[in-house]
Amino acid sequence: MASAVIELDNLKVELGRRKILRGISCRLGVSGVGKAIGLLGPNGAGKSTLILTLLGFLKPSSGRAYVLGFDCRRQTRQVRSRIGYMPETDSFVGNMTAVTFLRLMAELSGLPGETALEKAHETLFHVGLGEARYRELRTYSQGMKQMAKLAQAIVHGPELVLLDEPTNGLDPAARQRMLALVREMKEAHGMNVFLCSHLLRDVEQVCDEVVILKDGMIARGCNLEEERRSNRCFVELEVTGNDERLRGALPEIGADGVTEGDGRWRIVLPPNVEVQAIWDLVARQNLLVRKLTHRRDTLEEIFLKAMGHISHTPGEGAEPGPIGD
Amino acid sequence: MAVYRRGYHRYQGRMTGQWSRFMVLPRFAWRRLFRQRLVVLLMVLAMIWPLLCAGFIYLANHADLLKGLDREFQSFIEANGKFFLIFMNVQAAFAIFLAALTGPGLIAPDLANNALPLYFSRPLTRAGYVLARFVVLAGVLSAVTWIPGLLLFGMQAGMAGTVWFQANWDIAAGMAAGFAVWVALVSTVSLASSAYVRWKVVAGALVLGFFFILAGVSEMVNGIFRVTWGYALNPAWAIYRVWCAMLGVDPPDGPGVAACASVLAALIALLALVLERRLRPVEVIT
Repeated sequence: MASAVIELDNLKVELGRRKILRGISCRLGVSGVGKAIGLLGPNGAGKSTLILTLLGFLKPSSGRAYVLGFDCRRQTRQVRSRIGYMPETDSFVGNMTAVTFLRLMAELSGLPGETALEKAHETLFHVGLGEARYRELRTYSQGMKQMAKLAQAIVHGPELVLLDEPTNGLDPAARQRMLALVREMKEAHGMNVFLCSHLLRDVEQVCDEVVILKDGMIARGCNLEEERRSNRCFVELEVTGNDERLRGALPEIGADGVTEGDGRWRIVLPPNVEVQAIWDLVARQNLLVRKLTHRRDTLEEIFLKAMGHISHTPGEGAEPGPIGD
Repeated sequence: MAVYRRGYHRYQGRMTGQWSRFMVLPRFAWRRLFRQRLVVLLMVLAMIWPLLCAGFIYLANHADLLKGLDREFQSFIEANGKFFLIFMNVQAAFAIFLAALTGPGLIAPDLANNALPLYFSRPLTRAGYVLARFVVLAGVLSAVTWIPGLLLFGMQAGMAGTVWFQANWDIAAGMAAGFAVWVALVSTVSLASSAYVRWKVVAGALVLGFFFILAGVSEMVNGIFRVTWGYALNPAWAIYRVWCAMLGVDPPDGPGVAACASVLAALIALLALVLERRLRPVEVIT
């Protein structure tokens, strides 16, 4: 069995008398495969506490946490030599140029001096700070500081990168750049990413798995990749015209569907059929398409369901009307 | 290939050893320290007294140069335990100023910029971090304390001959050990103040204040209670008492060497505790 990137076994963390994590158990990611795991939850759910525990900064009151197969409490050195961490708050070494800062961080992680310098330059160009690499970090803008924090987290080429709110304080363009970099980290460089964010869209854009925390417990875990795959099969269609014969025509493309009346249809496509086939079929029926969308059980819906704010996906429980009505 | 064309690649090569990683922080810190003119100037000033002492040793070992001088002066010119004790006292003062100048820049900026999580998310423990910072200061202070001290002793031994060396080798051992205690105390004071105050200037003032205020307190205690044990509260006096014992020089009136050594050990332990409490990657408010 492939080892998990993060494995939690009844993990409990208490800060003083407050119980922050109340016995979390899960296996996330697969070691050696570049995947991104999102950590979601409202304020005070225990997201940061979990990250700090994985880093070995906080000690569990009971239970175990493993990162890449190493115990976070007993094998801290092994864990820390395999991870990169981008903290949420501003963190850097004052009065130091970006390139010196990255070189220092790389050497502390165990890279030889010359290689560390090369990697510092390389990484700064990679995150878009190449031209500013000889400037002192304190002169950087908020967006540049975020990029510098990301750079220090990946300069040594870790197996797992922990990102705590990486898009905080970024303008839309910089946010997209940051998310593209995170995607590239997992897809092109095979790094595992553990992304903690309160921005659902960020998590939805880059993550393959999601864990939702609520009151120190896992409220929901879901595989976004599978959700996306299943979402691709469901199509919501609205047409104008006489759609009585549509039901009978759907099997031509191997699809099945039900009508909800007023030209609204919910169609299930077989895995190998693309949406274009619906367009062609509808055109053959001389119908006009008013709307065609994939059913989207969005992360927002999953999150709201996990938080107990909604009980079902909107439209999911609607009774379909008689076929061909 | 130009670095901007190379693109990012994960490093998967050889890693350096633990000892080499430990020395990364001191290397970077020394490089930055010696770019500061004030530090270099103070270190140069700290070398003047050892040079004068070297001249003194040369004179003491060349009796022919002193022929015309009176006997009292000739007997004064002798490189013995007392001579090295005076040398140590002056260099100890330079060590305080140097620590006040260099120490605050070691930890305070890391705290002010919240850099500790970045260090501790790497294979570097809190103890390793403190030790690395201690090595930075110990290295700088060594350059003005035991290293010139032992060089002077070597010079004296070379000029005076084997007989002198055999009779006085304990001076060298006492000087090395005595300076080691002083360097440990001054470095810990400097690191603790740097960890306690995030503003470098204030942290530097705190280092000087530690020694001057405790000296004042010890005098007050002696004056109010009409005792002499208050001297033990003055680190400079306490270390002087310990050095007297180590170099075989007549001690001044006041508390014994054991009491003074205990006070110094307690101070170092207390300051280490301050460092332990202050240097955490995250502050947990319960």
